[in-house]
Amino acid sequence: MGKSNIFSEKNRGPLLALAPLLIMLLVLFVWPIAGIFESSFGEDVFTLTSYQRAIGSEVYRQIFYNTLEIAAVVTIGAIIVSYPFAYVMATVSPSMVKLLTFVVLLPFWTSALVRTTAWVILLQRRGVVNVGLEKVGFIDEPISFLYNFSGVLIGMIHVLMPFMVLPLYGAFRSIDGRLLQAAKGLGAGPWRGFIRIILPLSAPGVAAGGLIVFMTSIGYYITPSLMGGPKETMISQQIAYHMQEQLDWGMASALAVILLITTLSIFAIFQKYFGFDKMFSGQDTGEPLRQGDEKSNIQRLVFNISATLAAIFLIAPILVILPMSISETPFIKFPPNAFTFEWFENLYYDPRWSRAFFTSLEIAVMAVVISLFLGTSAAIGLSRLKSRMKPIIEAFVMTPLIIPPIIIAVGLYSFYAPLEMLGSSLGLAIGHALLATPFVFIAVRASLRSFDQNIELAAIGLGANWFTMFRRIMLPSIWPGLMAGSIFAFITSFDDVILAIFLTDVRSRTLPRVIYEGVKYDTDPTIVAVAAILIFVSMVVLITNLILERRK
Amino acid sequence: MKSLKILIMTIITIGSIAGGVSVAADDELVFVSWGGSYQSMIRKAIIRPFSRDTGIYVLEETDPNTAKVKTMVDSGRVTWDVITDGEMGVLRAAKAGLIERITPAMVNQDHVYPKMKNAYGVPSEVFSTTLAFSTEEFPDGSSQPTSWADFFDVNKFPGKRALRAAPDTVLEVALIADGVPLDQVIEVLKTPDGLDRAFKKIESIRPHVALWYNAGGQPVQALGSGEVVMAMGWNGRFQTGIERGLPIKIVWNGAIAELGFFMIVKNAPNKGAAVRFLNQMVSPKSQAEFYKHASYGPVTPEAWDMIPNNEWSRLPSSPDNLTKAVFLDAEWWVENDVELRERYQAVISK
Repeated sequence: MGKSNIFSEKNRGPLLALAPLLIMLLVLFVWPIAGIFESSFGEDVFTLTSYQRAIGSEVYRQIFYNTLEIAAVVTIGAIIVSYPFAYVMATVSPSMVKLLTFVVLLPFWTSALVRTTAWVILLQRRGVVNVGLEKVGFIDEPISFLYNFSGVLIGMIHVLMPFMVLPLYGAFRSIDGRLLQAAKGLGAGPWRGFIRIILPLSAPGVAAGGLIVFMTSIGYYITPSLMGGPKETMISQQIAYHMQEQLDWGMASALAVILLITTLSIFAIFQKYFGFDKMFSGQDTGEPLRQGDEKSNIQRLVFNISATLAAIFLIAPILVILPMSISETPFIKFPPNAFTFEWFENLYYDPRWSRAFFTSLEIAVMAVVISLFLGTSAAIGLSRLKSRMKPIIEAFVMTPLIIPPIIIAVGLYSFYAPLEMLGSSLGLAIGHALLATPFVFIAVRASLRSFDQNIELAAIGLGANWFTMFRRIMLPSIWPGLMAGSIFAFITSFDDVILAIFLTDVRSRTLPRVIYEGVKYDTDPTIVAVAAILIFVSMVVLITNLILERRK
Repeated sequence: MKSLKILIMTIITIGSIAGGVSVAADDELVFVSWGGSYQSMIRKAIIRPFSRDTGIYVLEETDPNTAKVKTMVDSGRVTWDVITDGEMGVLRAAKAGLIERITPAMVNQDHVYPKMKNAYGVPSEVFSTTLAFSTEEFPDGSSQPTSWADFFDVNKFPGKRALRAAPDTVLEVALIADGVPLDQVIEVLKTPDGLDRAFKKIESIRPHVALWYNAGGQPVQALGSGEVVMAMGWNGRFQTGIERGLPIKIVWNGAIAELGFFMIVKNAPNKGAAVRFLNQMVSPKSQAEFYKHASYGPVTPEAWDMIPNNEWSRLPSSPDNLTKAVFLDAEWWVENDVELRERYQAVISK
């Protein structure tokens, strides 16, 4: 069988398509990081001391366990919250879809610190939620939402929801609505139809979203450290501590290697039982789902209420940010004692902020373009590749998601320094593309599943060259994947602070880095004004868009 | 043809990006600190007068995190001259060979408080970890907490507490609360029995700690909102809260004082300018400027002559506050930090 040799004639095209991403990963990812990993075995002589310490100590075992537990529960929570939301999103009008997408993406317009403070204001013992519940008489004693496991869940699900909602939305969109009608015709009740048809057909979306959320959660630590307690300490926090404060790169990389091996094993098990290949639905879109007569009123009500609750969950902290931004004491007192426009004035008089905003935008756009090219090309190449190496290449392409960003940052720093590429926007954009390409890859790969290769062959058979076929036939069909991938790539870049800290200088600082600097020694309230303006601007863009569409 | 054009454009772009990196000149100095209000204080109090007096242009950068300095020094491409950090940062950087030794011939520190000196950095300011309580919970006129013993006494002062999620400064205050006299705290801490004693004390308060904080702003927010009634935290952060009208009072008794430092990066391109910069920074005149912008205390007694008397009480190194304070033994902490952090993490996450 031709399957055995990866370098056979048949594989030439696919390999060519995979090459750009593989080369970039080897040069910018594997090579520099290998240098850091080398130090996990000692600087001069070979030793396993760091590993002995990492594995032998009860504390690190506990922290590894915490990390996996938090990632798992966050993933399950994100599925539960996102499922009805994405379902409703897939069954409403296009302008409603835009509105809901906007709601899902809202958390990204605010820095982690502002987001967390908003949650603290809502959830603390004398916060809005507890006071409300007490007034209604639901509770006598305030509930402790914060500085424990529930705080971490709330904070992380809030920000990771887009990674769950968008793949789910894609899966629902590819379900043929006629199936439900057929089921009904054959006597299935609404719940039976849901359980036997919708649930299994959306499973690939759940798997894709779940995988992304799980992988991303593992590297998180800022939200848990601000909204959780000591029991919610995560491993990336320890890696950063050993790397930045202790300068013990041996210990840091030993922890990272263990994390990498654990995650890759989980990934392999997942691959074996669920199959990355089977993860994405291969359905042809027939008639899209509609919220219509095929469902009972009760069922519709349940979905609509769950989706509304999810939307409130997403919006609530954002609503707090607006009054916060004109409060005299935004980080320490709510409701505000007195109001002021001082923070907006700061923004106006200090060009740092607007400059950083445009730099961030420029870098995000570059990162989107680079990762779209690399991710799409690799996804197409891999789907056409016939080789036993396929799952390995697939796992390899995903690794930038698993490696803690701080390690990628140090690796890139040492790679860029001799090239004098530190401080260049392009350098940071390439770094962001490295983080974002797996997302594009997953999303495009998912939409390629519903692309029938026979159509491709037919078009080429009828005389179209490959690029005409791509433009006219393949592109429209993978368009949703490209859109989802672009959104992921954009927010990955726009939200990143760790790479920015290492790879930019004063002239090329991005917005998250300026925000980070504002809170290192004190909490600069200007960042709340920044968040308020970003939310406001994105709202205006959305509303204009909706109005223009209606005119059409 | 078209692809050739793109190739050429790419080469030109990359070239211009690379060429844009400026080469340090003699009358230039690259200063790297932590941004925000801290760096703007330094800009007003030191950088501007320095540039005016010497004609040396100071190029400011932000975020001198040690991992970055290490990569820079290891790769042999040092572009920074002066960086700032706390005392533990200085000791670690010195141990890793990332910073220059500073001799008396380079920077005159004769007027600096003797116990603040360090061979690898010039002290810039004193800040403290203190106790603070909510005056809404314990108003003036009623019984108010006055010591760490009160912090650990939930019968006398009921309510939730906030403590730091890292052990340095927390172990010290636990010993003070357990009755160790201020002048013996550091000594006792270094014994195994002392450590056991400190951890035991922390275990006793554990059920009453609502917040183990990682960020400096958290205890202020928690006190202001009533989430906790007593907290440990940095004096500067509490002071900002007080100035913004929060019901907070600082207790200076048993404060743990720490030092900020300026350092010269190993093989700094403008060492001469860096040395002049450090001399200016530590001069009593510059030192007496800091209080105007933040609640940091000067590192030289001579500065007090230039600071109005009514400002002294909020500054950590004022003669009165200094007698009630213990200095963190950074050297001991650098030696033991990893191990104690692991033990502390195990204790507080039980």
